Amino acid sequence: MSRLALCCAPLALIAAAPLAAQQLPDWSGVWFTEAGATVSISGFPTAVLNPSDTSPFPLLNPQGPWTEEGRAALISQLGRLGLSKSQGWGYPVMMVSATPLQFIVTPRETLVLTVYRDLRHIMTDGRPLSAPEDRWVTTWGESVGHWEGDTLVIETVAVRQPGLSFLSPPLSEKAHYLERLRKVGPDRIEGEMTITDPETLTEPWTIPLAYVRAEGLDRLVYDVFTNDRSELDGDAFGILPPGEHADPP
Amino acid sequence: MRLRLSIGLCLAAAMVPAANAHHSPVMFDSGRSVSVSGTVREFQWTNPHCYIQLVDDTPRQAEWNMEMAAPIYLMNKGWRPTTLKPGDRVKITVSPLRSGANGGLVLDVVSLDGKTIGKVK
Repeated sequence: MSRLALCCAPLALIAAAPLAAQQLPDWSGVWFTEAGATVSISGFPTAVLNPSDTSPFPLLNPQGPWTEEGRAALISQLGRLGLSKSQGWGYPVMMVSATPLQFIVTPRETLVLTVYRDLRHIMTDGRPLSAPEDRWVTTWGESVGHWEGDTLVIETVAVRQPGLSFLSPPLSEKAHYLERLRKVGPDRIEGEMTITDPETLTEPWTIPLAYVRAEGLDRLVYDVFTNDRSELDGDAFGILPPGEHADPP
Repeated sequence: MRLRLSIGLCLAAAMVPAANAHHSPVMFDSGRSVSVSGTVREFQWTNPHCYIQLVDDTPRQAEWNMEMAAPIYLMNKGWRPTTLKPGDRVKITVSPLRSGANGGLVLDVVSLDGKTIGKVK
């Protein structure tokens, strides 16, 4: 081993080591994306009043650097939205949707939870991503992260396609996701997500991320779906009478 | 431009499921609003949606199926499971069902003297 390698090895270990709890930023509380924070008792974000505003769903933006096939798949998907249901979000939709979410920051991992029981483990104990032949493709993918000062840098791979939600972008399972998140104020976390996908994107695609503190929640409250009264009736959903329930999607 | 607009409309249609996680809102006519006064028969604080069963004040006393966001979104806006009780008299503004059935997506709930229901920060 060269003298330079010997000299740098301890530094590499320090960089990969998890931060002590007292060094970690406080991201406690419940957060919404900026669009999610505008959701009223109706479920409508404010932006829905402006149909040409696609900002609440940046991953469904046809203006992204899609390949021809990727854009065709996206437009086909958009045409089916009116007749679709889903049980939750999955990754990456959970990071840009209107669902409330929590970040549980610990020395060895950061957990991201949503109220629809999405759960990401972002391992920050210095481990690398699994070797490609060992990866387990799942709806939430495999993530590792590290802290650069107070910025959490996250790499995610092995995200199952098609995604859990009808709002999932039509990326491939070869997609690589790089996120950078930083708390920039007591009530705001900002960052970005860069997606690289050799099959559906012509170049890396970076979208901004921004979360604001939920005004009326101090925790996520989970409950199962016991009362889905939305049932497809011809070419649109209708509301079943109380006591009747639709079949699960 | 036409393609861009139609895509925008599709995305708009997707926004309610983003909040509610279940289905598209194209079943509701978001371009219209209808206000219905009546008596609460039942308030369902349930996932994936909350519902208000409202018996209107018309001579027919028709029952309306009023869909709301999931409970967590209502909680964020100051609502609680007991915010509405059977017998409460309210006026509810909805985006009506396109089908013409008695029902819609709740936009606003006020008491008959005009006070907003739920805690408002």
